[in-house]
This record gives sequence, structure tokens and C-alpha cells, in this order.
Amino acid sequence: MALLEVRDLSVTIGSLQPLDRVTFSVDKGSILGLVGESGSGKSLTAMALMGLLPLLGGRVSQGSVRFDGTELVGLDSERYRALRGRRIALITQNPMTSLDPIQRVGAQIDQVGILHRGLTAADARARSIELLTQLRIPDAATVHGQYPHQMSGGMKQRVVIAMALAGDPELIIADEPTTALDVTIQAQIIQILVDLVRQRGLALLLITHDMSVVAQACDQVLVLYAGRIAESNTVEAIFAQARHPYTQALIACIPRSGQASGSLRGIAGIVPSVASYAGGCRYHPRCSAAQARCQTEVPATQVHNTHRIACHVATAGAAHG
Amino acid sequence: MADAPVSTNSNPPPLVQTRGLTRVFQSRAGLFAKQRRLAAVSDVDLDIPRGRVTGVVGESGCGKSTLARLVLRLLDASSGSVHFDGTDLASLPPAGLRALRRRMQMVFQDPYSSIDPRYSVHDAVLEPLRVQGLALDEAANRAKVESLMAMVGLNPVLANTYPHQLSGGQKQRVGIARALALQPDFLVLDEPTASLDVSIQAQIIALLEQLQADLGLTYLFISHDLGLVRYFCHRIVVMYLGRVVEILPDPTATPRHPYTRALMESTFEPDPRRRRTVTLLHGEIADAFNLPAGCAYAARCPQATQRCRSERPALVHPDGVEQGHSLACHHPLGS
Repeated sequence: MALLEVRDLSVTIGSLQPLDRVTFSVDKGSILGLVGESGSGKSLTAMALMGLLPLLGGRVSQGSVRFDGTELVGLDSERYRALRGRRIALITQNPMTSLDPIQRVGAQIDQVGILHRGLTAADARARSIELLTQLRIPDAATVHGQYPHQMSGGMKQRVVIAMALAGDPELIIADEPTTALDVTIQAQIIQILVDLVRQRGLALLLITHDMSVVAQACDQVLVLYAGRIAESNTVEAIFAQARHPYTQALIACIPRSGQASGSLRGIAGIVPSVASYAGGCRYHPRCSAAQARCQTEVPATQVHNTHRIACHVATAGAAHG
Repeated sequence: MADAPVSTNSNPPPLVQTRGLTRVFQSRAGLFAKQRRLAAVSDVDLDIPRGRVTGVVGESGCGKSTLARLVLRLLDASSGSVHFDGTDLASLPPAGLRALRRRMQMVFQDPYSSIDPRYSVHDAVLEPLRVQGLALDEAANRAKVESLMAMVGLNPVLANTYPHQLSGGQKQRVGIARALALQPDFLVLDEPTASLDVSIQAQIIALLEQLQADLGLTYLFISHDLGLVRYFCHRIVVMYLGRVVEILPDPTATPRHPYTRALMESTFEPDPRRRRTVTLLHGEIADAFNLPAGCAYAARCPQATQRCRSERPALVHPDGVEQGHSLACHHPLGS
């Protein structure tokens, strides 16, 4: 059964609607990749799930977010606070925004255990060191007493993951957790997250713009473009037979080993800002397959088994073939 | 060291050659602490062939950006030499160096910080010409800027916009147009796509490929992404903590150094059927201020032996590997 079930989630900020009827679910023990370029609404989705939209002056205008059967839309801030950091944890892209620079990292991890799980200071400390050790941090007791500036980027990101785990969460939302890191460290962090999901049965929502990370780690994929679903499916199906031109273009941005030089393309243009979305399908100005209809008519989301897609061109092709 | 090193093969001599290139930085851990010594680049012998793309790959702190700056003499070497087209850069007086700089330009990682925010795109693209005293009358300047913008795929109507009005990809195109303004033959590309989305990264790489082919440019491409380097480069230099540990003569060559192999296994493919098996490491990158006596990678290397920890391996061409393939390892893989 799905641990997190999001249905037709829309978000408004002032008169703008940066997220428009997004639907997905995440099962226990599985990883959903939420993918798209900057500005597609990935981080906003994370903020909405964490109940942090008021920080941006935004609100959920429509739809539902059910976590383990509980409706989170409209949940009072007291009860939300009891969930956040405890049953749902967030890992952000830049570990420095999650770590207090003038507090020892160990104390920051301990805090989560004390606050959310009612541990004594000594128990919280023992648990923090155990978590750091599980995350392959050598000499965890020493690291526990260090300040963030004494650590490398990869080490800080592990500390942030330890903080997320200290509340013993069931769902982790990881927003570009490896984007600022070296490839070797990225590989380590992704592997650690995958192991956590497989070993502890956690659910993971992994936000990224990189289809190679999706291919390596995820079970399910949801592609967002300009605040709307473009396509979603299992990871195997997305890579074997992506139907949406945007999904295909995102996959083609990463060079494969042995790919002939001169064959990398990229996607022309950029994601529009929320104030200047195109009518019809929002991707049509950048889409090489766009037809007249794409400019005026918003494509409806078609659902077929695990596959969801919103594209006039792809679904017209499917009807004939 | 006024003479250029003699080329050992029959091909045209490389455009750029470094020999024993070393740069040491001194710093203190605190105001009254003892001076510390960091060799950011140690004893690098590098040949950059003409009209080819040479890639330098390694993690943060491996010295790849310092190497880029040394090659252009934006930084002075502590020891060793850089020859550009046969000329020893260290021997040149300032005027001579400035004249030579027309032929070698750099594209920086962060397009935001490499452009003066008060300059319009027109001013930014024209700046190198002004600095070199090559700017002309207004109409000719405008025509020059337009042709450079067209070369990098920027709409000329953007000439009067300012950096804050541009996207990251557009800013990087401005950075490339600036670098091309003086019609150089050598470009150093220092992580030009590291701060961009993958969709924009692919656009910029495609542009750089096309410019390289059209203009016959020589590139030194600095990156931490081995997947990108293997796609884009003809020759790959792998650095670890200031030293070259392996040179692959072509992007399809099989890595023999355990570090290059680890980099490769960390580079994911956009294909779930080809998932990597990532081995979780215990070791950390050695302290650059306090490098071990032996191989700097030994602390993280699964093959490391006592010999690796005490004796530094030299960069050599071992028997039985392809011509042009060198590595610095006591226990190369697959041997």
C-alpha cells in the first residue's frame, strides 16, 4: 500500500499557480524519482508535502496529500510539526542550509532524537554515533564533536542524512541531495540512500534533474514540466519506451558511454517562469514534435496501468498503433 | 629552460607542453599557527595536442583548476615550465605575454561571476578587444559583437541586455563569445557546465563541439564528470591530489588505475539496465597539507599494499598497454 498518496495537488502563490494537479504515490520500500529542470516545480512539491508553503507565501489550492491514511492538507501546524522531522524527513541540496555553523554537528543530530523521540541526552548521543557509523563515517565519535566547517561537503551531507534518520522517519524527501557534490561522493550518497530504503523499508522521494541518477536509484519516475505532470511510469518503462518528447529529451541530455561525438543535443530554450507559461501544452514552444493543437489545448492526463502521460502527440500515436 | 622540449614522435609538436609543472601554496591554519605547505599541482608533464580536446578529470581539490591557471600563466609556477607553441611563458616580458594571450583564452565555471554586472552583453563581448586595443568604430564593433553572438547561438537582440536578465545557459554563451572575441587557437574550459542543468549542459557541450570542429580549436577541458569527459574529449588526463595518475590516449581505453576505475564506477549511465555496483568506501581523501609518502590514493584504494604506502609510483608507460597510455600505480588493474 502507498505510504504517501498525492492526488491532484495544486499550489498557488499569490495569483500564480506554479503547481497544477500533480498526482503520484510512493510505496514503502520504494524510491520515486521526481525529475525535471530547474523551475519545473520539484522543490515546490517537496515544500508542499512538508507543509512549508507558508514560508513562501503559498498554499495548497486543490487536491489531497495522504500520508499513512492521514490527510495532510489543512492539518493544523501543531500536528504537522509532530510529523516533520519525525515521520517525514527532508534532506536539502546544500547541507550548509540544514546545519547550524556554530553548533557541533553531533549536538544537532542529538537534538532530533531528544525532541522527536524523547531520548535522554546520553541515549541520543549513542544513537547519533551509531547512525554516523552506519553512514560509513570513520571515527564517528570524533566527528560527533566537530563543527560543520571542519568537514568536507560529502561528510556534511552524511551528517544531514544522519539528522534525517535520527527521527526514525518512514518517508524521506531528498531534494537534489548530491547536486553540489563530486561524482564519487554522489555515488556513495546515492548508494547509502538506496541501502536505507532496501534495508529499512523506508519510502524515498528523490528529487533530481539528472536522469542518470534516476536510472541508477529509482523504482518509479515522475517527470514534471512547468508545474504539470509530463509523464510517469516505472523506471524500466520510462527508459525503455519514454513516450513524452520531454522525457525523451531529458534522457538524451546525458551522454552514454560510447556515444558518438557530435550527437549530444540538449533541449533548446529554457523552462518558462511561472508568470509566462504558454497556453495549451506548456512544453510546446520547446517541443520538436509540437502540432497546432498543442498550442491551444491542454493535454489531458491519460492513465494506462502504471503509465500516466499528458501529451497530444504521444497519445494520438498510441491510438493508431 | 628557454628551449622547447623536443617532441618524441613524428606528429606536429603539441600546442602546449608542461614539464615538471608545480605550484605550491603556503598558508596558516590560524593566525599564529605554523606555516603549512600545499602542493596543488606537483610535477605535471602534459602535452596538449593541436586541434584536439584534452580532458582533465578529478575531484574537488585535485588541482585541475590550478593546472588550468598555470597553463595560461594566470598563476606563476613554483617550478617547472609551460611552453605555448614553442615559447616558454615564463621567459616572456609582460608585453609579449599579453600579445600571446590573444591566442589563449579561458571559459570559467560560473558565468555569473565572470561578467561585470554593469556591462551589457555588447560591452562584455567587446571587453577583450578593448583590453587588447583592438576595438574599432561603433558600427564595426556592433557588427563584430553580432557575429560573435551568432557564433554562440545568442540572438543579437540580446546585445543590450544585462547579465541579470539572462539565463545561466545564455550567460555561459556570453562567456564563450568573450573567449572567442580575439580569435584564439587555444581555449581552457574550466568546468563550463558544472553549475548548469543537464539540459543546458548538453546544449553548451554541443556548441563547444561545433565550435571546435568549425574553428579547429584546441581545448583543455576541466571537469569532475568522467562520463562527460569520455564523451567530449579525445584524450583524458586523470588527476588525484595534484598529480597525474593516468593518461588515457582515447576515451574508449580501459582504465588501469584503480582511481580511474572508481571514477568510472561513480558515473551513472542513463539506463536502469546498466546500474553500477557502488562499493561503499571507508577511506577519505588524504589531507592535501599532509600528503603521505607513498601513493596519495592508497588510503582509499582496495588494492593498496605496504609498498603503495611508502613508495610513490611514477607516471610511466607500462609494457603491454596501448601507445600513449600512462599510469602511476604499483598494481595496475588487469595485469
